[in-house]
Amino acid sequence: MTPYQIAAPLLSLLALMYAWNLVLRQKKTIWEALLWTLFWGGIAFIALKPDVLSYLSVATGIKDQVNAIFVTSIGILFFFVFYVIIRIEELHQRFARIIREMALREAGMREDAVPEDKR
Amino acid sequence: MRVIAVIPAYNEETRIGSVVRAARTYAAEVIVVDDGSTDATGHKATEAGARVLRHMDNCGPGAATMTGIEAARLLQADVITTLDADEQHDAHDMPALLTPIERGEADVVFADRFALRNAIPLIRRFFNAIGNVVTLLATGRWVHDSQCGFKAFGPRAVKEIQLRMNGFEFCTEIVRESVQHRWRITQVPVKVLYSAYTLAKGQSFATGMKTAFKILLRSFLR
Repeated sequence: MTPYQIAAPLLSLLALMYAWNLVLRQKKTIWEALLWTLFWGGIAFIALKPDVLSYLSVATGIKDQVNAIFVTSIGILFFFVFYVIIRIEELHQRFARIIREMALREAGMREDAVPEDKR
Repeated sequence: MRVIAVIPAYNEETRIGSVVRAARTYAAEVIVVDDGSTDATGHKATEAGARVLRHMDNCGPGAATMTGIEAARLLQADVITTLDADEQHDAHDMPALLTPIERGEADVVFADRFALRNAIPLIRRFFNAIGNVVTLLATGRWVHDSQCGFKAFGPRAVKEIQLRMNGFEFCTEIVRESVQHRWRITQVPVKVLYSAYTLAKGQSFATGMKTAFKILLRSFLR
C-alpha cells in the first residue's frame, strides 16, 4: 500500500463523518450528505482500487501521469474558485441581513438593540 | 388564524396597487417589501393599504421575501402567503392555498401553475421543468412547480423557515427547508396570467443557468 492509499480513505472517512455530523445537527439534509458520500466514497475507492482508472483512461484519453496531474490541478483550482464564489455569496447574505434589519427598524418593527444612552 | 400576505416587489408601480387590494380581501395584513425600487412602488403600495418595508438597495427576491416573513412573524402571523407583485398570480386563489393549512393537513402549500390548462408559453414551461429537475437534484424532493412564488406557510413553517439565498434560488431553498424540517407539503392548482409585461420581467436564460449552478454548487459545498 502506498501512503496515498492510506491517506485518501482516511481523509474521505473524516469528510464523511463531518458531513453526517452536520446531518445530525440539522445543518445538512440527508440528500446532500448522500452526494458527499458518493463523492468521497469515489475518492477512497479510486485510491484503493486504482485499476478502475483504466476505464476512465479509455473514456477520457488521459493516459500518462503528466496529463493526470494537469487534470487534477484543474479540478483543485475549480474547487477553490467554487469555494470563493460561495464565500462571496455569504458576504452578499450578510449585506442583505443588514439591509433587512435596517428596513425593519425604519418601519418601527424592531427596537434598537443598543440603548440610547450607550450610543 | 391570522393570515399575512408578503409581496416582494421591485419596480412594480403599475401593478402593485391592484395586487395589494386583491390580497387584502383574504389577508389580515399585506406586507410589501420594496426591494430598492427606483420608481413609486412603495408609495403605490402604501396608497393601496399595504405596510411597506423598504430595502435601501436591491437585494433580490429571496432577501425581500425573507424580510417580509420576518416582519410577518413580528406581527404575530399564524399563516403567511407569498405572491408575486406583477399580477401573474390571482389573489383569489389564496383561499385554495390556505385550506390545507386550516385543515391541519400541510405545513407548506405550493401553487401549481401547470395543473390547470393555463396559457403558459413553451419556453416558460421548459425553464420551469429545468428548475424542477435542479431542485430535485439539490434537495431530493420533486415539486411540480418548484419555482412559483405563490405559496402558503402554516404555523410550523412560519416559525422555522430561514431563507439565506438572496436571488431566485430561494424557491429551491424553500423546498430544501421543507425536506430538512420534514414539513408536510401539498400542491394546489392555481391560475396564472402571463402577459408581455410578466414575460419581460421574468428570469432570462442566463439568470436561470446562474441560479441552477448556484443551487447545485451550494447543495454540494454546504
